[in-house]
Parts: sequence; C-alpha cells; structure tokens
Amino acid sequence: MAKKEELRELLKAELKDDFIGEELAGERRLFVDVHNRALVKTAEILMKQGARYQVGVGYESRKGGRGLALVHTFAFDNDALIVIVRTFAPEDNPEFDSLTPIIPGAGWSERECIDLLGFRFKNHPGPKRLVLSDDWPEGIYPLRHDVPHDLMPPATRDVVFRLEQPPPGTSIVPFGPFHSSLHEPAHFSVYVDGENIKGCEYRGFMTHRGIEKLAQTELTYNDVPFVAERICGICGSVHSVNYAQAVEAAAGIKISRRAEFIRVVMLELERLHSHLLWLGVAGHLIGFDTVFMQAWRIRERIMWLAERLTGNRKTYGMVIVGGVRRDINKEKAEDIKQVLKEVEREMLSLEKAIINDKTIHKRTRGVGYLSKEDALKWNLIGPVARARGIAIDARKDHPYAAYDELEFEVPVVDYGDVWGTLVVRVKEVYEAINIIRQCLNKMPADGPLAIDLDAPIPSGRQALSVVEAPRGEAVHYVLTGEENKPERWRVRAPTYANLQAVPEMLMNNKLADFPIIVGSIDPCISCTDRVVVIEIGLQKIKVMRKEELETISRKMRFEG
Amino acid sequence: MKVAAIFINLAYFLLLAPFLEGVMRKLTARIQSRQGPPLYQPYLDLLKLLGKENIVSSKNWAFRLAPLLAFSSMLAVVLLVPLAGAENLLSHSSDLMTLIYLLTLSGFSILVGALASGNPFAGVGASREMMTIIMLEPVLAMTLILGAVKSESFTISSALSGIGRNHGFSYFLMLVVYLLALQAFVSRQPFDIPEAEVEILEGPYVEYSGPNYALFRYTLNIKRMFYAWLFVVSFLNFVPSGNFWLKLLLETAGILILFVLISVIGATHPRFRIDQAIKYYTLLVVLSLIAIGLGVKGW
Repeated sequence: MAKKEELRELLKAELKDDFIGEELAGERRLFVDVHNRALVKTAEILMKQGARYQVGVGYESRKGGRGLALVHTFAFDNDALIVIVRTFAPEDNPEFDSLTPIIPGAGWSERECIDLLGFRFKNHPGPKRLVLSDDWPEGIYPLRHDVPHDLMPPATRDVVFRLEQPPPGTSIVPFGPFHSSLHEPAHFSVYVDGENIKGCEYRGFMTHRGIEKLAQTELTYNDVPFVAERICGICGSVHSVNYAQAVEAAAGIKISRRAEFIRVVMLELERLHSHLLWLGVAGHLIGFDTVFMQAWRIRERIMWLAERLTGNRKTYGMVIVGGVRRDINKEKAEDIKQVLKEVEREMLSLEKAIINDKTIHKRTRGVGYLSKEDALKWNLIGPVARARGIAIDARKDHPYAAYDELEFEVPVVDYGDVWGTLVVRVKEVYEAINIIRQCLNKMPADGPLAIDLDAPIPSGRQALSVVEAPRGEAVHYVLTGEENKPERWRVRAPTYANLQAVPEMLMNNKLADFPIIVGSIDPCISCTDRVVVIEIGLQKIKVMRKEELETISRKMRFEG
Repeated sequence: MKVAAIFINLAYFLLLAPFLEGVMRKLTARIQSRQGPPLYQPYLDLLKLLGKENIVSSKNWAFRLAPLLAFSSMLAVVLLVPLAGAENLLSHSSDLMTLIYLLTLSGFSILVGALASGNPFAGVGASREMMTIIMLEPVLAMTLILGAVKSESFTISSALSGIGRNHGFSYFLMLVVYLLALQAFVSRQPFDIPEAEVEILEGPYVEYSGPNYALFRYTLNIKRMFYAWLFVVSFLNFVPSGNFWLKLLLETAGILILFVLISVIGATHPRFRIDQAIKYYTLLVVLSLIAIGLGVKGW
C-alpha cells in the first residue's frame, strides 16, 4: 500500500539511526521500532501526516533483555493503515518522553503505565496515580512479571477521599457513585448555580478487575475470548472477536470465510440490541418511559433470537481463536430473517413516533453540543463523533472479518448534539439489519467453523485489531508469549476515548439535561474501568489524581 | 344532612383517590405494552408504606411536621367543597380565599419538608416545586375568580357554579387554559419536573419513607382527584341538580374520563425542563388574565 511505503520511507529518512527496525505484517499495519530518544519526533511526524492517536501500551519483556517496552498506535483512517510505534527502555531506568504535551489523549495511557509498570514520563503534565487505589503500596507494579495476579496488599483505613470545593456561587449535586441515571458505579460531582451546570468533577475506575493481568498469567489463548466477552455486558462479542482477530493476525492464521460471516452476524445482532437498548435508556433519561418500554420490547425479540442461535441471550460465547463455535444453518438463517422483518417493521413505527415528537426535539436539540473541531480535538469515536460530522467507522476504515464484501452506509449528521447521536443510532439500526441480511445471502455454503492450528503460536509477535463496537472503535493489542498464552493484551474500549469529552459537553447545560448528556455517549463503565480518573474544573480540564471510591465505601462502612 | 355531607366528602375523596392512581398506572402500562399492576395496587402500596418503619433522616422538626401538614390541609380542602352541589356545614364558614390558602399550604408543606431534609436533590426539587407553585397558583386562582366575578359572590359553591353560568368567550378560554394546565396541576409528564426520578430521584420526597411518605403519596392522590373534580363541577355543570347520588355518579364518571386523558398525555410525552415549563406556564397565566378581563366585560 502506497501510504505504508511512504510513511516507512519518511520515518527512515527523518529518524536515520533512530529507526531500529520493522516487524513484518499485513499491508494494513506498520510495526516499527524506534529509539527511545526519537519517540516524540516520531509522534510529531505521524500526527503531521494526519494520524489519529489510539492508545498507548506498556509491557515488560519476559526475555531477551530488551527491558521495558512502550507502544503507541496511530490510525490513518483514510488509508486503512495503523502505525504501531514501539520503543524500549532499560529496566533500571524506565524513562520515556511523554506524548501528552502534543497529544492530550495519550495522558491516560501513560498514567496507566506509571501505575501498573512503574514507568516514568518526562514532561508529563500530571503524572499522578490513576489506576491503583490510594492505599496500594508504592513500588509494587501489578503488570510486572514478578507480581502474582492475586496479590492483595492489606487495605489501609486512614486514606480519606476529599471532594474538591465547588467554585464560589455554586453548590454540589452528587451524581454517583450510585444514581438511577448511571447504570454502573461512577461519580460526577456536578457544580450547579441554580439549574445551570457550571463545572463537574468526575471520578471513575471503581471497578477495575485486572482482566488483562489474569489473561497474561492464568489463562491460555483460547480461554481469553470468554473472559474478553465478559469485559462488557452489552458489547461482549466486540471484545472476543477483537481479541481473536489480534491473535490470529499475530499467528498468521486465516480463518474460514464462513466463520468470518458468522462473526459479522453476531456483531451486528449485538449492535441491534445495543442501539435499541440505548434508545430505550435515552427515552427513560428524558422521562419518556413509553419509548423505553417499546424499544426494549422490540429488543427482546433479538435477545430471544440470540438465545436460539447461541444458547445465551447475551455473552454468546461464539468466538474462539481460529473461528466460531456454532454454525448458522439454513433453518437458523430463516429464523434470523423472520425476526429482522418484525424488528424492522416495529422499528419503523417507533422511529416515526420519535422523529415526529416535538417534545423529544425540545429535550435533545442543542443539548450537549460540541463542535466538530472540539470533537476532533478530543478524538471522539463512534456515534458520538458521527453526530458531529466526523465520518469515521472502523468497519469501513479498517475492514475486518467480512465487512470488505458488504455494502452499507455510515450515517453521519452534523447536529453536534444529543439529537444527532439519536439520529445516527436509529439509522444504524437499519444498516445493521441490512448487513445481517447481506451476510445471510452472501455467506459461503461450506467451510470449517474453526480451523486447527498445526504449530504453536510463535512468541514475541505483535498484532493490533480494531472492531467497531456499537459505541465506537474498540482496540485490542496483543503480544504473543510463551506457554500458549499472550504476554501482553491491552484493551481500549470506546468509552475510554469518549468519556473525556463529557465534562465539556455538560458545561452550561441545565441540570435536567445531565442524564441524557452522559447517556448520549452510552458510557460503558465496566469496559473503561481498567483505570483512569480525570478531574474537571470550571471551564478547564485538569488532569488529577485518582481518588479512590474504594476509600469512600470503606469510610462509610466504618464510620457510617 | 349537612353534618353527614362532611363525612361523605371525606369518604369520597379518601376512598376514590388511590383507585384513580390505579387507573392511571394501568392505562400507562397498557400504552407501554405492559401488563400493569391491578387497579387496587395503590391501596396496597399505601398500606405497606404505613406499616413500615418511619425513618427520620433530619433533626429538623419541620421534617416530621411537613407530611402531616400537607395531608391535613389537603383534607381540609376537600371538606369545604360542595360535593354534587350539596353544601355542607363547613361550606358556610369558608370562602374562595380559604380554599386557595389551604391548597397553597399543602404545596408549601412539601417545600418545607424538602428543605428540612437537607438533601441536595430535595433542594433542587424544592426549588422546582416552588417555581411551579408560583406559576400555577395564579391559574387556579383566576379560574375561581372568574366564577366569583360571574356570580358576584365569594362563596365556594356559587363561584364554582358561576364559571359555567353563561358559555361566553371567557368560559371557553378559561376551559382551554385549565385543561392545558391540568397536566401540570396533577404533576404528570411532561410536568413531573419537581420529582424527575432519573435526574433528582423524586426530588422533595427523596428522604421520605414509610408512613411519612405514605402521607405525601396520599396527599398527591387527593390533590390530583381534586383538580379533576374541580374541572368537572365548574366547567361541566350541565348535569341537572336533583338526585344527589346520580349527580355524584356523573361527576365521578367525568373525573374518570379526565384521568384517562391525563394518563394518555403522560405516557406519550417526555419530561420538560423547568425553563421550558416556565415559558409554558407564563402563557397560561397571561391567557387566564385575559379570560378574567373578558369575564368582567360580561363576555
């Protein structure tokens, strides 16, 4: 691919001796190793070429004496190319240059590395603790190989969380850690002046489960898809497919075309149920429970269908490395077509009711507005970006599975508000139905569901996979390891990127609009909570220490 | 008879009000493709709440007083009114001002309870409730004053029957205004803004539970029924007076029809924001003032 050659030559010419080498990969990925000192320069070159920053990954090399590694990935959405830049530092001095000053979106990834691997970052604006709770002892880095996965340091009780003082003239309305408009633990301390939101302090990452560490220590390649699916209760297949694709790419496995089509069917069914779920929740959040009930009634058909196809309403357990576990035969295909017909019919009447409802317009137009420029600045993805005029969709930009053979539209609108995200999601429901129908017609009649591997997966290979989840692009990075398990597996869920822009969306809106604005990004806290807390002051975003929710719960337990 | 009428008033509102909530819940459920609870569910809910522990989360004495005050002033309101055109002993010792005063006192008690609880959500709910009271009380007052203007009397029964004395412009304008305000009077969607469960967790009632909360629920039920009843007796007084029980039956039927309307509107609208609602209320106040003007002119 031309862009790949061009970038490689450009990097070689600019970096000279600092360009260490390139790992062979397919035409859509460029894996380069660069010298530690050239990291910022490399990032600057790539960003100038129009890259979109995705995620940073740190890991400890198990062998070969290469020390600690830091990986940054950059997507070129127009050229179907992702550049993965890796750099090393010696174990006794794990210091890297921070990318955060030039790419704000890198801040979370870098702080994750500080917490979990003990990296140090030069010029990081706020290198504070992020993932780990305040009472986690200094000097124990959970993702290092010598730390067991089940290490539980004793909790200390004297760590007390202090909320920031609200700005003068405002008072605090606490949304969370548990609130009926948040479906998972998260805490927004909202500063209000009357009914106007004047700022907000966000604290999250209360449900960090250490899934990545578990996969790297206790599980084998084919156990992980089932754990990956449990990262999220709504878009589970996204993570299992994503992981499997990454491992397959690293191992150089080509799965059967039929299996790829079956994966697409499951992914799109999941998108259908997720969008209908969102639509219902959005209705509920603006006090329109009839939309809630009707959307979920339509969704229920898809849940039953999924149960007939896979045995489960959710968490399908369909994906393994090398293919899928269950077939979609003629009978099941007919079943799917029948259900889709019903869903499409009911969806049309629901859509008509929503689009024509003036009060829904009143509650969503201009609410949570963010301009296209701001959306680009925050690297927004998924429907949240597509509602702001940014045409980005991993299914089109970085085709995977069978999407290259399917024809579909990517709905993009430029309302820039909650209404826009609603319109995009409603349109995507029809596109998903369209995609599944195409899959059922175009699917090859035969082909193995899963292929067996002839040889062990070689260690030390990198792979990066992206899948368009209902909420946006999910990224999985895999480094293959010894003993039939990945050495490093990193998940970046879409909410990780979108959540950062929420405080800016909230600014100067009404308190009554808080639930629907937060809801408009369809936040998935369990996906995101592998780390991270940001804290947002008045009109400005400052990176802040992750204060532990755990501490709060402890305080309540012992004092309350 | 005049003493017995007091007890008939009391029984009528106390017994029927929860049933009307049941009707509302059932209808809403059917519109949402749900089965819905049985019609008698609100009675069970009230009984259950009355049997629960009364958690008092605030040291402020107003917190305990508020539900009692809200409930008793609402009861006083329904005692005063002439049910099916029949005046009772208390009607003579009261007038329109007493009625409006007691209604406001009931709403005001909810505010006091909310503010006494010290909960930030209750605080937001109270401020919304306050704005609603300020904007909506005039609409109610204007309706009653129109009756007073037309009947040239300040007693409750003559004012109520005065509204529909002649069906001029003022009558029709006020009828439309009252119907437009009805959804807000009974605080159902799109005007259940002070409670707004997903935003402020039932607002003023967030700290209330058990018997205290039961009293608030009961107050709300009776208040809803009262506003529907007021519409029926003042705007739809075509029913010839004569048989007391027949008139009562027809009034009850009118109330039921209004509750069907309220349920359907409630189930097909999302909640407004308070700023959007205030604009709407302002329009209603202006229209009701115009209606009074027309009424004074004799139109």
